[in-house]
Amino acid sequence: MTTVAAEPNRGSAVSEKRAPAASPSIMTPRQVVGRIGFYTVIALATAFFALPMLWLLSTPFDDTPGLSISVPDLTLNNFRDLLDNPYALGSLVNSIVLAVGTALLVVVFAALASYSLSRVKIPGRDMLLYALLLLSSIVTGTAAMVPIFLMMFELGLIDSQIGVIMVLSGGLLPAAIFILKDFVDTIPKSYEESARVFGASSFQILRHIVVPVIRPGLATIAVWTVVNVWGNFLVPFILLRDTDKQPAAVLMRTFYTEGGAPNLALISTFSLLYSIPVVLMYLFVSRKYGFRFHGGIKS
Amino acid sequence: MAEIELVGLSKVYPGDVRAVDSLDLKIPDHEFFALLGPSGCGKTTLLRTIAGLEAVTEGQVRIGGEDVTGLPPGKRDLAMVFQDYALFPHMTVVDNIAYPLRVKGQPKDERRKTASEAGDELSLGGLMERRPSELSGGQQQRVALARAVACRPRVFLFDEPLSNLDARLRLEARSFLKKLQKELGVTTVFVTHDQAEALAMADRIAVMDKGKIRQVGTPKEVFQRPANTFVANFIGSTPMNLLPGVAAGDVVQIAGQELPLPDEVRDSVADGQDVVFGARPEYLVFSPSEAPDSLHGVVTVVENLGTAALVTLEAEGLSVAVTVPEGEEPELGDKGWVTTTPGRVLIYAAEDGELVGSKVPATTAA
Repeated sequence: MTTVAAEPNRGSAVSEKRAPAASPSIMTPRQVVGRIGFYTVIALATAFFALPMLWLLSTPFDDTPGLSISVPDLTLNNFRDLLDNPYALGSLVNSIVLAVGTALLVVVFAALASYSLSRVKIPGRDMLLYALLLLSSIVTGTAAMVPIFLMMFELGLIDSQIGVIMVLSGGLLPAAIFILKDFVDTIPKSYEESARVFGASSFQILRHIVVPVIRPGLATIAVWTVVNVWGNFLVPFILLRDTDKQPAAVLMRTFYTEGGAPNLALISTFSLLYSIPVVLMYLFVSRKYGFRFHGGIKS
Repeated sequence: MAEIELVGLSKVYPGDVRAVDSLDLKIPDHEFFALLGPSGCGKTTLLRTIAGLEAVTEGQVRIGGEDVTGLPPGKRDLAMVFQDYALFPHMTVVDNIAYPLRVKGQPKDERRKTASEAGDELSLGGLMERRPSELSGGQQQRVALARAVACRPRVFLFDEPLSNLDARLRLEARSFLKKLQKELGVTTVFVTHDQAEALAMADRIAVMDKGKIRQVGTPKEVFQRPANTFVANFIGSTPMNLLPGVAAGDVVQIAGQELPLPDEVRDSVADGQDVVFGARPEYLVFSPSEAPDSLHGVVTVVENLGTAALVTLEAEGLSVAVTVPEGEEPELGDKGWVTTTPGRVLIYAAEDGELVGSKVPATTAA
């Protein structure tokens, strides 16, 4: 009984003590200035990131597109101009082909590789993974562009979308394997052993158990690959000669007027179309699977 | 249904760790067999070797008279239930149970029907469309069992099947598992570190230590006549009293006191031989007044066991535990005398810790 009676007393004592500090009405001038400064910085930072977005949303519908943001004189003429361009829509299709192709290749190979790397013990496995991760940034980077070009030339894969997909996959795979291995590592061994006792082959275990369990990881990898390929300029720019095959990111650089000035009407409109598929895919995948960058099993 | 036979089986890990050491064992058809031992004794490795999840270093595994040493787990026609049940989290209960049949290539409708029947047998009727994460521990265990039952194997292997259940559920699951095994009649090997579980469930028990089997026998044999001091120490909910002494004629001298040497071993023990006098606390009798042929000491600990109390007496560096019925517990500091029950005293050779005399309990031998 005594403890029950004591509880409320102690509770009120605590709230009394806390009350002055928690109340916003009593702030020192110093706190007020600090608060104002804080919000000013936040507002400036927000504006810095928001302005390009606003430009992207408003300029395509502006009759006189410029580099400043203004209330647009609404028009859809820019879109008509864009449709008149013989390569615009085709390049978006090319982008999709490259992105989807690379994503498929990366997901399939990363799933196989991460499963085996997670389950087979080889000496220096972690070193190998780190080395791959380090080197991968070179493969798709500028440094290795000349040897890669020569290699693709020897293989007869210049001006071929398959060649681009292969190079991009090679560059993205190590990081994908690295992320996926973490997912596979969290699958208890007993799952696989149980399946093995029932007679499942390694391939069946991968298909029936590992892949379904790491599905959020696979979705993350797929989206991450698509985003990477979608924004990649250098590799397709160098490996693809034919304008018909070039993806959106490469084609955009051709949008100049005869006078040599950037054609802002085309660029802004095209940029808007170019960003929509990525945003849509992000929303879809995030709703369906949720993004996770680490493994783990809910049980 | 099949018997299991292990011939000279060894499993050596890198670094010359002998997890299983040239082991011979025969488990007859329909038997419920327990592998019992402390953690790290190699019991789980042995089970996994029978399953084929561990490669054999030396020796043979035979199931149903057929050498399966080189066969992969899936070709041995056995089912294993893992300690964590290993239910697939992305499949419903019915799909989990049907998984072995899916691997065997049975059509979907057929295997779901078989799975539902196996589920009903284990009273999982209303839970078939749930995910494992939506089940309680006991239900998960039954799903794992149903999955093993559904594929109608020749052999069941259970790895610590009850250790993930809480105490009360464990008791229920114990009788349930025993009943299920008797109904199905499938040869079953289960691993446990809990001696009470092994005694309660198994037809026969193998007590293991350091990769070797220290004793194989029925629960009764193992409990009443542990073959060596290791088994004596390991079996029983209260540890057996193991008192070092010296044989001298008709008696064993223990820390300056004397207890009678049992008649049945008198011929096997030499005068002056170092022995270990073994007696379970349950088989000793406590007396608050002086008694003939007894050890005496001062009560230092009284532990309540519910229907009885475990009393520890101490005298000259000697410590003896004895159970005392409810209501007769002595006070701390009281003097007490302990006498033995005839036929319930075991003498071990101090040299190797092996039991002196017959290995068969007197009751079954008679």
